[in-house]
Amino acid sequence: MISERRRSPRQVLARLHSRHVLHAYLFIAPVIVLFGIFRVAPSIQTLLYSFYKVELLRGRFTFIGLENFYSLLTDEIFRKATVNTLTYVTTIVPISAFLGLILAVLFNAKFHLKEFFKAVYFSPMVTSTVAAAMVWWWMYNPQFGIFNVLLKLVGVPEQPWLMSSHMALPSIIIFSVWKNLGYNMIIYLAGLQAIPQQFYEAATIDGAGALRRFRHITIPLLAPTTTFLLIYDTILALQVFDQVFVLTGGGPAGSTNVVVLDLYRQAFERYNFGYAAAEAMVLFLFIMAVTILQYYYSKRYEVAY
Amino acid sequence: MTRGSKMLAISLAILFLIPAIAVAGAAKTVTLWYPAGDITAGAAHFADKTLFTDFESKYNVKVEAVALDYDTMQQKIFAAAAGKNIADILFVDDSWMPGFLKEEMLEPVADAKAKAWLDAVSPEIKELSDYGKGRMWGYVQYGIDVYGLTWNKDQFREVGLDPEKPPKTWDEFREYAKKLVKRDAQGNITRVGYAIRHVGQPHGIVHKHFWAIYGAGAALVDDHRTLRGGKTLINTPGGKAALQLVLDMLDVDKSTSLNFPDPRAAFLRGIASMQISETVSIRARQPKEAPDLKWGMALPPVPKAGDKPATNLGGWLYTVPKLAKNKAQAWQLIEWLNSPEKDFELCKKYNASPRYKVNWEKEPFKSDPYDQGLKQLYPYGIKLPINLGFNGIMEATGNAIQKVWHHEASVDAALAEAERLANKSIADATK
Repeated sequence: MISERRRSPRQVLARLHSRHVLHAYLFIAPVIVLFGIFRVAPSIQTLLYSFYKVELLRGRFTFIGLENFYSLLTDEIFRKATVNTLTYVTTIVPISAFLGLILAVLFNAKFHLKEFFKAVYFSPMVTSTVAAAMVWWWMYNPQFGIFNVLLKLVGVPEQPWLMSSHMALPSIIIFSVWKNLGYNMIIYLAGLQAIPQQFYEAATIDGAGALRRFRHITIPLLAPTTTFLLIYDTILALQVFDQVFVLTGGGPAGSTNVVVLDLYRQAFERYNFGYAAAEAMVLFLFIMAVTILQYYYSKRYEVAY
Repeated sequence: MTRGSKMLAISLAILFLIPAIAVAGAAKTVTLWYPAGDITAGAAHFADKTLFTDFESKYNVKVEAVALDYDTMQQKIFAAAAGKNIADILFVDDSWMPGFLKEEMLEPVADAKAKAWLDAVSPEIKELSDYGKGRMWGYVQYGIDVYGLTWNKDQFREVGLDPEKPPKTWDEFREYAKKLVKRDAQGNITRVGYAIRHVGQPHGIVHKHFWAIYGAGAALVDDHRTLRGGKTLINTPGGKAALQLVLDMLDVDKSTSLNFPDPRAAFLRGIASMQISETVSIRARQPKEAPDLKWGMALPPVPKAGDKPATNLGGWLYTVPKLAKNKAQAWQLIEWLNSPEKDFELCKKYNASPRYKVNWEKEPFKSDPYDQGLKQLYPYGIKLPINLGFNGIMEATGNAIQKVWHHEASVDAALAEAERLANKSIADATK
């Protein structure tokens, strides 16, 4: 056999041609090019901006090294935004995953109008976040909102919801769980339907009850699905913006300010593009670290049927 | 060359020339961006399709007015400027001006034209137009915003207060608010004596509490007409008293509540008896939203009898960005739209207060009770600072107000933090 090193470039090309490697690259080229233009290039630009004082309209870029990052370390508003974001992530991701799993198990059974209810639970996912948030803003209204009307009906004191610095973030989390639940349910449902029935049959013959089957078969075999959802939900949650922007604008008293909202304000309200880019880079590193961690951790739970 | 060939050559030449002639003769299009909806009464006339007809035919210019969402308009303008694809005229909130000036985004008004305008308009318009030493960056629109105390006369009467006598001092204000508050059987407040703005953009929160801050002798910056440098005067006894006033109304008097976040809407719905905000907005919305409401308008109360009242004066401006493609036509349109004749015509049509001194001498403005009421407020109006660190100052102050009223921090701690952040913003903007 002739090694690759001994082949001439022409032979290598011919070989690639015969294996349709070139054709494959040709077919994916449009996506790669567009991805490069609209994703990779802006990301590189953001990375570069983070080391500069950027005055976009004057076209003036002053290299300041790590100064933007040093400033972030002492920026109390950014620190609070980071804490709020992490609170949001660590709450919404497990709650959404857990409720999604429960719903998926319920929908895995056969019952009347199952598809209709599935569509009902999934519908928030296909609704515009901004439009849905506007509706929820009214639902949370302390005087006229449906939540306080319902609380009043059952004799519970009315709540200030988005008007309170203590309740605003939980209110946004409730909205986000409602919005994401359908997606988690569908993914879990797909995972459940991929588990071979013979595992359950064997366990049933061995005398395992429903709960034991769920604990020892369903949960372990859904581990790849859970990992995917945890990574996906974490990445999305770290980038939370729309619902915060519409529902509270980051208030009251910065209680719902999150990293993406803060960087948006730095960039488009205070025109500190370099500083905003540094915030974006910190967020990017955070997302990457979480993803790598979860990815390697998930390898332990890989399953093959 | 045969006759036929000559004809063909001439025809072809004409054919070639037609597009060039058409391009040369076509009207230029001047684009104008303004805020959609009823954000400012001064933008109402843009909805009139015939507004620019005379101008278009006289100057052979087509005007395209585009409504943008107010909440994101400032950001869109900046993004458009960065993309070098911006409108020829920007109709902007004066509180955005420091940010735009910081980026050197706008064309100045020619000195001679600025002088002529400043000489011809009334003092409050002059105050809003002048960015120091007669420098102007745009023309202020009619129907400027002056904040005033508005009260519901029927509700005053209902609790035994004289409907024609608004509170003049902070003590009276607190007493009136306590009398006016209403509760249901469970003790929940169903109507506040005074509605406060405490959520949303920090800018809006500061605007609505400006009267108390300045009335008590505090200030967002020490010099309102300085672009660079200076320091905030928010962490002062006056600033502390201003925040404490509402905190006491929340906790001690329980005459206001955090559950009524939109003062103007609450006032128009009859669930707030008093509020302090843009009187022009109440004037514009009341006939549609609360036709039966009888309301009064006065200066905001002062800490004690004899103190000088303070209120904020704001407006919208017609500006031309440096990157505008049709600057000459843009200035032409602005000057046409802001002539004394148009000022009179549009103010009369849209029930707005005029800008030119000469128009104030004409009816209906001369004897209109609302316009004359505004004239009582104008002398106490204070324009927002033009400091380049303005956005940071407003954010710091707005957050401090929120923290205090939401019991996240004490008055002292919140204002100390606001002072530090505001001064940092001022210092950063000067770099």
